[in-house]
Amino acid sequence: MLPTAAAFVLLLAPAAEPDAKQVEFFENKIRPVLVEQCYSCHSADAKGKKKLKGGLMLDTKEALLKGGDSGPAVVPGKPAESLLMKSLRCEGDIKMPPAGKLGDPILKDFETWITAGAADPRTDTAVKASTMDIEKGKQFWSFQPVKEPTVPTASASKNPIDAFVAAGWKAQKVTPVGPADKRTLIRRVYLDLIGLPPTADDVEAFEKDASPDAFAKVVEKLLASPQHGEKWARHWLDVARYAEDQAHTFGVQPKNQAWRYRDWVIKAFNDDMPYDRFVKMQLAADMMPDAPTDPFEKYAGMGFLGLGAEYYRDAGCGPRADADELDDKLDTLTRGFLGLTVACARCHDHKFDPIPTKDYYSLAGVYFGTKMSNANLGTPEQVKAYADAQAKAKEAEGKLNKAKEEQKKVEKDKKDDKEAIKAAADKVKELTAETDKLKKAVPPAPPVAHVLSGNGPGMKVNVRGNPTVFGDDAPKGFLQVLPSAAKPGKDFDRLAVANAIASKDNPLTARVIVNRVWAWHFGRGIVGTPSNFGVLGDAPTNQPLLDWLATNFIKNGWSLKWLHRQIVLSGVYQLDSRPDEANDKIDAGNVYLWRANRRRVDVEQWRDSLLSVSGTLDKTTGGPTFDLKNAGVTRRTVYAKVSRHEPDGLLRMFDFPDANVTADKRVTTTVPQQQLFALNSPFMTSQARAFAARAEKLGKTDAEKIAAAYKLAFGREPATQELDLAERFLKLPMKKDDKLTRWQQFAQVLLASNELMYVD
Amino acid sequence: MDLNSALRIPHSAFTRREMLARTGTGLGLLGLAALAERSAAAPVTTPSNPLAPKVVHFPAKAKHVIHLFMNGGPSQVDTFDPKPELTKRHGEKMDLKTGRAKGSLMKSPFTFKKYGKSGIDVSELFPEVGSCIDDICVIRSMHTNIPNHEPGLLLMTCGNPQATRPSMGSWLTYGLGTENQNLPGFVVLCPGKPVVGPALWNNSFLPGVYQGCHIQNLDPKKVIEHIRNTEVGSGTQREQLDLLNQLNGLHKEKRANDDQLDARIQSLEIAYRMQTEATDAFDLSKEPTKLRDHYGKGYFADACMTARRLVERGVRMVQVFYGGGQPWDDHSDCEKGHRTKAKDTDKAAAALLRDLKDKGLLDETLVLWGGEFGRTPTSEGQNGRDHNSKGFTVWMAGGGIKGGMAYGETDEFGCAAVEKKVHVHDLHATILHLMGLDHEKLTYRYSGRDFRLTDVHGVVVKDILT
Repeated sequence: MLPTAAAFVLLLAPAAEPDAKQVEFFENKIRPVLVEQCYSCHSADAKGKKKLKGGLMLDTKEALLKGGDSGPAVVPGKPAESLLMKSLRCEGDIKMPPAGKLGDPILKDFETWITAGAADPRTDTAVKASTMDIEKGKQFWSFQPVKEPTVPTASASKNPIDAFVAAGWKAQKVTPVGPADKRTLIRRVYLDLIGLPPTADDVEAFEKDASPDAFAKVVEKLLASPQHGEKWARHWLDVARYAEDQAHTFGVQPKNQAWRYRDWVIKAFNDDMPYDRFVKMQLAADMMPDAPTDPFEKYAGMGFLGLGAEYYRDAGCGPRADADELDDKLDTLTRGFLGLTVACARCHDHKFDPIPTKDYYSLAGVYFGTKMSNANLGTPEQVKAYADAQAKAKEAEGKLNKAKEEQKKVEKDKKDDKEAIKAAADKVKELTAETDKLKKAVPPAPPVAHVLSGNGPGMKVNVRGNPTVFGDDAPKGFLQVLPSAAKPGKDFDRLAVANAIASKDNPLTARVIVNRVWAWHFGRGIVGTPSNFGVLGDAPTNQPLLDWLATNFIKNGWSLKWLHRQIVLSGVYQLDSRPDEANDKIDAGNVYLWRANRRRVDVEQWRDSLLSVSGTLDKTTGGPTFDLKNAGVTRRTVYAKVSRHEPDGLLRMFDFPDANVTADKRVTTTVPQQQLFALNSPFMTSQARAFAARAEKLGKTDAEKIAAAYKLAFGREPATQELDLAERFLKLPMKKDDKLTRWQQFAQVLLASNELMYVD
Repeated sequence: MDLNSALRIPHSAFTRREMLARTGTGLGLLGLAALAERSAAAPVTTPSNPLAPKVVHFPAKAKHVIHLFMNGGPSQVDTFDPKPELTKRHGEKMDLKTGRAKGSLMKSPFTFKKYGKSGIDVSELFPEVGSCIDDICVIRSMHTNIPNHEPGLLLMTCGNPQATRPSMGSWLTYGLGTENQNLPGFVVLCPGKPVVGPALWNNSFLPGVYQGCHIQNLDPKKVIEHIRNTEVGSGTQREQLDLLNQLNGLHKEKRANDDQLDARIQSLEIAYRMQTEATDAFDLSKEPTKLRDHYGKGYFADACMTARRLVERGVRMVQVFYGGGQPWDDHSDCEKGHRTKAKDTDKAAAALLRDLKDKGLLDETLVLWGGEFGRTPTSEGQNGRDHNSKGFTVWMAGGGIKGGMAYGETDEFGCAAVEKKVHVHDLHATILHLMGLDHEKLTYRYSGRDFRLTDVHGVVVKDILT
């Protein structure tokens, strides 16, 4: 075993007062073993349950030193004389724990601990009372109420965003690089707002429109497009760790209609559903008095929790699975909506943020015992028709089974009565036909939404996160550090949680979502850690800007389209992406946004761009998912199957996040496997064929065709050099076994180019 | 920058530049090599800890890991853990508290024999492995948490019984990178799908590049997705790529100082080379017939030989599953089932050890053999054995492991580990240690805290190290 630093210190200073390191050693190495291995028979709790053995309690320092029926359990400094040590070594009559000797490293830890004086910080209860100072914790910037800051006046732009950003430029002494050209801008805003590139006509129209509101008109058109929701839903689905199955397969059913949640999010974004309502509908639509009457609109959003993790629960894993599933819910909802890592408080008080363990279980208690279930989305008529038809078929089947039994009986008992046998056979035949007919008449099962239902009764604290060791009661309630209209107690329910989050008084909710949207537009948030606004998260680079956005977002009815409009119409959004030497020296990471960030587009935008350029994009909206392995399906990528069990190769290769957990942003990696896809995949070659056929029709000479291809792909004319290279390539003789023509090969090259993969 | 801070990369700090350095697109090769070099040779210090050099300074003994995964769970008392008492008391009714089937004690149908200078007992199922025993350390005191496949497999591969954590291969490639940029760093060879499936080699919250590359079909033309172009010949593809390079070059000229554009250009070139190199790595027809005969025939034999070819080319970790599903899971007729599977396992595993040794690779390659748990010494049904999480055997060889050693003990019946117990977390800690990584310091900041392969557990088993 490796002696740890703490252990060594203990050995050197056996008689010293328990210092921080000794306590840490106890907390890390000794207490967990006592809790997990000993408390069930040797604690005040065990005594209360009449399960105490040998009169020995090990859950306080005093009890440990006093010992049980056989005498003191521990003699500090003397492991050889300590009964506890002997029992753990299984040397004497008492062999502990009963389930079997613990590992040598653990025994060594105990020896080290006793030798060093058996430092024990525990006082009168097994569970340390929280010493967390919530009021002090509230002083941290993100827990402070959002106040609308004054817009700096010394700015040329009318957009307050620019005024705030300019203040940052001034403070950092960086100079913005100037606006992007129109062609760059229109491609950027198309990919940002609808996830598709502009067509050549779109580009041309915008370039020709000299009116001052030319760009605003484009923005309005895009925000009103049904494709806007398809692009932005995918961002939210990353946060919601949306998927249609589970990572493991033992005893779980795939959620065949999971896609309804995805469609609900798309519709919510297209309808510009106010964000506070968007939050509430996902958490407690079933309990909202003002929920829509349409069952899809009412229930499908509840897939946010209804499609959550379901873990392996066989072989005694049930309690742990329940606890892990609760943790998935809490983690997704607190990081997702509040930017708080509440899951850190599952085993101990949060080490940095004002979230005691008790708060974790207060919130978890709301969800404890809730069920993943299906909400019916059919009309009452549909449901009734389905139920009636099924009942009829079942009834007929019952009759048929009886007739079959009767037939057997007759065949056995009345072997010689041909008439009776025939009559019985005829009856079976008749009833079989009847049953088949009724079965066929059953209409398709009514649609369902996968939701979370019920409300939990509350929980006790799970000591050190162990779902079988219980501490204090944790009355149901919200996090103490945040305001909640509903008070803690037995009536605190899912709707109360939803209300506390979707409240203008919550200092986090609006800040977190405006920051997310900002990050999805610029590649980096004002807070660089979109799901962590706690002490370990990044500090805001421009808090006045963040707070101005948050307050005005609320003032404008929590409208996400208002927010998009505000952002993309700002001067800072429209900057060019070119570098600048002087600025680079000060802010090479472009934290202060003196230029636009050139970015590789997400996999969805890349694949959708390829389809769009090739003219094969199927714009059908909504409905069941398709498998990306099927290269022939040309629907938008947002409609592809998302699996936790077997993530799709293309998605995973291009940095699609793991759908087992909420994701705040995507990393960007550049690996050769991606390029193998671009060079060799059937998808790429089939798109190359389609693109080639599309462009070829648009010209007579090579030069004309090349120009047409450039216009389709990039919305521009080829440069002389590009034209020259392309013409030379097309003149190369065909090789014998090639199945793609030179023109198709050229089309593939354009599709695989950096120009389609990066946005300036 | 010490290794600790080099590896402690919070999500927020995964900048493009760092990613490039870690994904080795040509540009990053040097950085990666430097990182691996540092972990292998230089003392790693953490200034806040005065005892640091003794605790965390260790040069890497191994560069590669080959895990021969006997999924399904082989029986310890029938393979590497002989139990005379079990034979003596065969047929006695006994509740061994395994939480599983409670039949009577069932002796092993196989005889054991002492092998090598070390005289370690090995069952008749593994004569070839037995003949390599002086290079092997048999750990007879393994234990895990739950006697069922899913949690057992996940704990063994990812250090957690639920499917939510990165696999060991992902951690290793995250921590060490890989030595050959033309091949994936973490390769998983399994015909079909094992129980649980892809979560066993998942990168989870680590970036996608650390995911295991699952290869089902060992045909060199099919090994890696999209590795071959079926539409044009390689000459034409070269012409296409030349044009693409030129066009990307013109695109880049107008966008100065952007290394992400360079990175993609280089990555395309690597992909082009990968088509030949990867195909070549899997081409067993280039191996001498005699050597191929030593390995034997069938998927497992070919996979073992492929594993050697891969580590030879710098792949960090190769995980070879014995088969899809849970093949070693002999709930009935354990004798027949084990005999069949041991036959090709024995030959191929031993051939791999000898081959690695002959090529001077065994010293730097850690070979691990074992299942996700063991089996009960009591019978299930007439002649089967049930799952057992309380005690089982694995063996390791090469890369810093003491040969000719039997470590730890189970009880008199071979049921539960009792002496020098080694938990799966301890095994992981030991493997990372041999690879030059401190399992308590190989962390990844995610969701507000630092995650480890060993969670809050794991102790390096120092006694088995050279």
